[in-house]
Amino acid sequence: MAIALAVSPTRMELLKLKQRVGLAQKGHDLLKEKMDALVIEFFEVVRRIQEARMKAFDQLSVAHRALSMGFAVVGTLETKQASKETKRELQVEISTRHIMGIAVPAVEVGEVERNALVRGYGLHMTSSVLDEASREFERALKLLIELAELEASAFAIVRELEKTKRRVNALEYILIPRLREALKFIMMRLDEMERENFTRLKRIKAMMEKRE
Amino acid sequence: MSADRLIKFELSKLNVHLPERRLSLKEALSSAKPQVMSRDGSVHTFKREELEFLAGLLPEADRDKLQVPILIALEPKLGRGTARISGEAEVKVVSQVLEKELTAVELLIYRPEVAILRRKLPTTTQYLFLW
Repeated sequence: MAIALAVSPTRMELLKLKQRVGLAQKGHDLLKEKMDALVIEFFEVVRRIQEARMKAFDQLSVAHRALSMGFAVVGTLETKQASKETKRELQVEISTRHIMGIAVPAVEVGEVERNALVRGYGLHMTSSVLDEASREFERALKLLIELAELEASAFAIVRELEKTKRRVNALEYILIPRLREALKFIMMRLDEMERENFTRLKRIKAMMEKRE
Repeated sequence: MSADRLIKFELSKLNVHLPERRLSLKEALSSAKPQVMSRDGSVHTFKREELEFLAGLLPEADRDKLQVPILIALEPKLGRGTARISGEAEVKVVSQVLEKELTAVELLIYRPEVAILRRKLPTTTQYLFLW
């Protein structure tokens, strides 16, 4: 139940309140449009996340299969040793792009797949099977970076959506009903005052007629 | 009155993502890095494949008439979820993308169509909030 605002019942206040209701209604309608647009954007990002996740998971399972082959051919200890020797560097450029004013991360990644010579592990102790596994994991890494970018976008959109929804609800369920209530109160009070005046005048007229 | 100020502030923020100046498709295609500066100071970059896709939908002579990003105008008075596309070349392109019949200089599209349009042209379309 909306609580009426404390207002004085004057015509000036009535005009002011009408303007405020108009502004609040306009704000509410536009924020609702923004919310709808954000929902469209969110579902599009979610659709892309599902695709990216499927691709990444498929690639990871391929990579794990290749790694199992690596363990079998090269040996567990040698593979672990090779993994410790591998260079763990990746050039990633993180900037922001804007979707309806929301800053979402844009990750630009250079070439993730590396040549066996630059990976860092010694080639004389390993096998081409391990190179194959490394290549598959590098491919998976690229897909995971894309997935991370999309998920961060989804979180940013959801945060904005939540904020917008809170504002829309505040306008819809608190501010606008309160203003309308106050508007109704002033209108009723002014009508009442008009009726009182009318009655008073009629009484005065009757008294004057009686005196004459 | 702080609520009113807050509403005004929210309304003033609605269109800050729009570019200060739009580019014609011809300009965007000839640019090495097709991008526009937004009102909030951020840079909005167009994907080249999208620009090329748009160029494929228009005859060569119309490429300087099409302004990118194409604005999807959301106006509450049109009804919730209804958007307006203005401009001759813009309407032509959007009609083809949505496989709709070509109408006059203005085209009204609805929420599912807005979603399709945004999916097909994510960087070359933007929302515009009108009141």
